Amino acid sequence: MESSQTFKKFIQEILFGAKSLVIGLWITIKRMPQRIVTVQYPRQKLTMFPNFRGHIEAIRFADNGSHHCVACGLCARICPSHVIKVQGEKRKASDHKRGTLYYIDFTKCSLCGLCVDICPEKTLTFSREYELAYRSRWEGVVDIMKRLEESK
Amino acid sequence: MNSNIQGIQMKDLPLIGPVYQFLGPDVFVAVVGLLLILGFVQINALALIWVERKVAGHIQLRPGPMEVGPHGLLQTLADGIKLMGKELITPQMADKPLYWLAPIIIFIPALVCFVIIPFSPLLQVRDLNVGILLIFSVSSLSVLSILMGGWASNNKYSLIGAARSVAQIIAYEIPLLLSTMSVIIMCNSFKMSEIIAAQKPVWFIVFQPIAAIIFLIGATAETNRAPFDLPEAESELVAGFHTEYTGMRFALFFLAEYSNMFITAAMAVTLFFGGWQGPLLPPLVWFMIKCYTLIFGVIWVRWTFPRLRFDQLMNFAWKILIPAALLNLLITAVVLKAV
Repeated sequence: MESSQTFKKFIQEILFGAKSLVIGLWITIKRMPQRIVTVQYPRQKLTMFPNFRGHIEAIRFADNGSHHCVACGLCARICPSHVIKVQGEKRKASDHKRGTLYYIDFTKCSLCGLCVDICPEKTLTFSREYELAYRSRWEGVVDIMKRLEESK
Repeated sequence: MNSNIQGIQMKDLPLIGPVYQFLGPDVFVAVVGLLLILGFVQINALALIWVERKVAGHIQLRPGPMEVGPHGLLQTLADGIKLMGKELITPQMADKPLYWLAPIIIFIPALVCFVIIPFSPLLQVRDLNVGILLIFSVSSLSVLSILMGGWASNNKYSLIGAARSVAQIIAYEIPLLLSTMSVIIMCNSFKMSEIIAAQKPVWFIVFQPIAAIIFLIGATAETNRAPFDLPEAESELVAGFHTEYTGMRFALFFLAEYSNMFITAAMAVTLFFGGWQGPLLPPLVWFMIKCYTLIFGVIWVRWTFPRLRFDQLMNFAWKILIPAALLNLLITAVVLKAV
């Protein structure tokens, strides 16, 4: 009696397994004619999400049509990797100082975001650039002011 | 290729005629057959690798190769050229003669088995009266090659892969042979042409569905295809027995795998699906349609099921397949005797 039951269980297991295999095959064959979900990269490109962290870039403000950088150098000082270089100039004695040159060596950036947090003018943000393959180390140095000019 | 029928026409042909007369019918058939087989093996492997990648892609909702040629058709050709250009690395501690010999030996069964395959009534290099037996005996050489390659590489992954392969292929050869035998005792012949002729009214899969299923499972295991791809389990053993092989040597292993796939599909077609028989279309086309449908099935299975664990693999062969095949053979014999 005992052995006949184990044999019955054995056969049931085989039948159940065979059924599950057929179901699995049915699932994959149904996928075959379906639409492709992958992005065909060089021809199709996605825009990154707002939260995506690329290298930093300057925000364009509506009031002056440009950035608000005052070249205070706080970002350059707080940067743990020392990859930021800022220079500014004062056109007139009564004017505010204004940032004119802003470089970041993105090859050494650790994307900690301290520069964005500390900026007193809130003029820094993360770009959504993701095509970051370079042919040389110098191409990894991003000229942020130039980027802002070109993005006009 | 029946030399008598074709011999009359052959002598009159402008270019081939003198060659035919010089070589004589037997050698001529051998040479032409070998050339055709070599060409077919290459084209078959190139096409199958492309189909495999395409099917895998579409099952996973991605397009597969798309860059080289229209829909990536030339991708495998480009890969082949790349493999030819690669350096042939021999590990320092390898057993050099064995290491060198293994990829050559794995290619021999793939070539020899094609001699028996009946593509159409005329397009068969040799219709031996021990056809099925020859395929079985020659194809068991491939285990030797896998073992040689795995052992000679002097690499733990290769050796484990080779050991698994030997255990697996020996285990699955038994149900494969037993299921074939139940067909053989139905038509009383090992000859491919007679097996096909016996299926003129009804295909053997109607009489022998269990044998057909066992044959297909065993054939998948024999060709080291997923879900029985333990000898080359990528995720655990790097690449199994061909971990250390590079360039054209690796390509030979690959070529042999896809040729073996075609051979097992062709055997299944001959044994269970009526060979080249079919209405309207010429026999060669029917044979190819049936073969590639089966191969598509094998590819489909590969991209559906996960790999078996080793004890599951062995249990499946010894506890389920072999008893079922034996029982099937017994019932077939009893029914044939009674009828």
